[in-house]
Amino acid sequence: MTGTDADHPADGQTIALVGCPNVGKSVVFNALADTYVDVSNYPGTTVETTVGRVGEDTLTDTPGVYGLSSFSAEERIAKDIVLDADVVVNVVDATHLDRDLFLTLQLLDMGIPTVVAVNMMDETAAAGIDIDVEGLEARLGVPVVPTVAVTGDGIDSLNDRIGEATAPETTPVAAWFEALPEDLALSRAEQTLLVEADTDTAEQLEADSESMADGGQPGVLDETRRETVYGQRRDRVSDITDAVITVTDREESLGERISDLMIAPRTGTPIALATLGVIYVLIGDLVAQRLVDVIETRLFGDYYTPFVQAVVGEALPDTAWADPLRYVLLNENLGLLTVTVQYVLGVLLPLVVAFYLAIGVLEDSGVLPRLAVLTDRGLDRIGLNGRAIVPMIVGVGCVTMAVITTRMVGSRRDRLIATGLLGLAIPCSAQLGVILGLLAGLGMVWWFAYLGVLVAVFGVAGVVLDRVLPGEGQGLITELPRMRVPRPENVLRKTATRTRMFLREAAPLFAVTALGISVLDYAGALTTIERGLAPVTGVLGVPASFAQVLILGIIRRDFAAAGMTDLQLGAAQTFVGLVVITLFVPCILSMTMIVKERDLKSGLVMWVGSWVVAFGVGAVLAGVLL
Amino acid sequence: MTVSLSTLDRGEHFDIDAVGDPEVRAKLLRLGFLDGTVECHRRVPNGPVVLRRNGTTLAIGHRIAEDITVTPTDPT
Repeated sequence: MTGTDADHPADGQTIALVGCPNVGKSVVFNALADTYVDVSNYPGTTVETTVGRVGEDTLTDTPGVYGLSSFSAEERIAKDIVLDADVVVNVVDATHLDRDLFLTLQLLDMGIPTVVAVNMMDETAAAGIDIDVEGLEARLGVPVVPTVAVTGDGIDSLNDRIGEATAPETTPVAAWFEALPEDLALSRAEQTLLVEADTDTAEQLEADSESMADGGQPGVLDETRRETVYGQRRDRVSDITDAVITVTDREESLGERISDLMIAPRTGTPIALATLGVIYVLIGDLVAQRLVDVIETRLFGDYYTPFVQAVVGEALPDTAWADPLRYVLLNENLGLLTVTVQYVLGVLLPLVVAFYLAIGVLEDSGVLPRLAVLTDRGLDRIGLNGRAIVPMIVGVGCVTMAVITTRMVGSRRDRLIATGLLGLAIPCSAQLGVILGLLAGLGMVWWFAYLGVLVAVFGVAGVVLDRVLPGEGQGLITELPRMRVPRPENVLRKTATRTRMFLREAAPLFAVTALGISVLDYAGALTTIERGLAPVTGVLGVPASFAQVLILGIIRRDFAAAGMTDLQLGAAQTFVGLVVITLFVPCILSMTMIVKERDLKSGLVMWVGSWVVAFGVGAVLAGVLL
Repeated sequence: MTVSLSTLDRGEHFDIDAVGDPEVRAKLLRLGFLDGTVECHRRVPNGPVVLRRNGTTLAIGHRIAEDITVTPTDPT
């Protein structure tokens, strides 16, 4: 390691910020870091990590985990970052020491130089406890600093003591080390992970030892030993908490009472519906409809688009070779400089900001895990667990946004099911607005029939996906953090970083997609598709011009719905048409996002699948009604 | 006497004996839910159970809860 590059100064250390979920790690991060450096996905994953600078040192935030092993992507990443770090700042929640000290002791067992920040010290009184910080420091054998990160209390002292970070010379976990093969040169951290039967470390070891003569390492992965090691560590945690925590009296807080109301189906369902109503009004109506409408017609329609057309029109010579270029840049369907910019900045940006604000509030307040508990029973039937409720709710606002939130949903399998259902059976608000208008003209019966068909397709598709996909749905297991009033600065900061990151990733992707479609369009491929769809429109009992609606729907769902208002259709025809365009492919933005979040193959399967389902269901309905 | 976690009622106290899924077991172990008496704080019929121990609240879905056996104890 010689030389100094801008990202990793040679004389600086790497500090990792580690802690359980909801301990205020990101607030500590922002209080410690001098300058914001970068938020990015950890290589090969969709887990975000933040990197900042403290003086000469690099500070890396890690995903919230209860322990370090290989049980989830978050744990793996946290573990990797810890193993690469010189020093760890371990943030613990003063009111949850019994839960948090397991990770602390694991870090110390691994021999990682650590400083412990006991955060949320201001909440101990309300929680009815008193903590002997000096006693904790004496027992852990590493610096312990009380902090209230939201007000900045204790941060200076924490910063001062990072240099004192240390780990005890040896810890009780060493008693198991001799059970490990002797011929391996292992660090204390690796030895600890290995006696805990960490699969990644064992695999790594196996890969390394394959080059050696005798190959495999029998007995390295021993789950019984993990049990013993974990159990012994828990005993040590209990000894410490017994000694340093004095329990005083406490009353049931308002937050706990609200929490109970949210979980019980009878009271929780109306609360959840009201919450959804508010989100729908904010994102679906206020932003997706009204604000976006104003931006599109005024800002882009009146100023931006004419301006760009004039500038580019002048810049490009009036010759034949410039014609395709002009088309790709300026066409009215998806021109690179006109409609593409309008979609990304005029439609997506306001939606993304509104959506991240809403999610930030829900996250910060602790509402999300309660919603998960409430909806778990229903979602379990389609192979999902309660955590999948968030994408479904957000999907009614905007499917593109919802695809991003599928990250919150447990396993890869669960994410696939959630994404598939989103793409198929959830109409976005932009489309729903136009659809509501069309159905209103037909009468209430049609509206309920429309809802009924969607719910049925959603349920059937869920059950089918659950059966078809290999593996089994993961059950729900989630901690319910304390309910609290969201802190505006926290929500705003999260929104800002996430929005920035979203634009950085989505804008280029969308530009490339738009370019591709424009080229196809110019080459006449879209007209060919339209002609090819003639038999389909026949089966659906709608005029051939309906194909045009479908083409529009590929680009943007509400365009399809809007396009239908121009067709002269009977009530039943309109109904069939609306069902078809709802089930039909997700808009180009959603598709781009699905490919980005999942992979190209899943994206294509979903795309083709939604054609099949849309026309299948449409044909059946047409057969019955027409 | 051991019963399934999914059959408990709110307010009951118990010790967790066996956990079907090793990963779930490791999680419960880390969080201290295998250390001693746990309280059933809420139960949604055919849905998740909400457990409490030492100020930590944990929700466990029906599917997982069915796979966990517990011994009811007297609250102390």
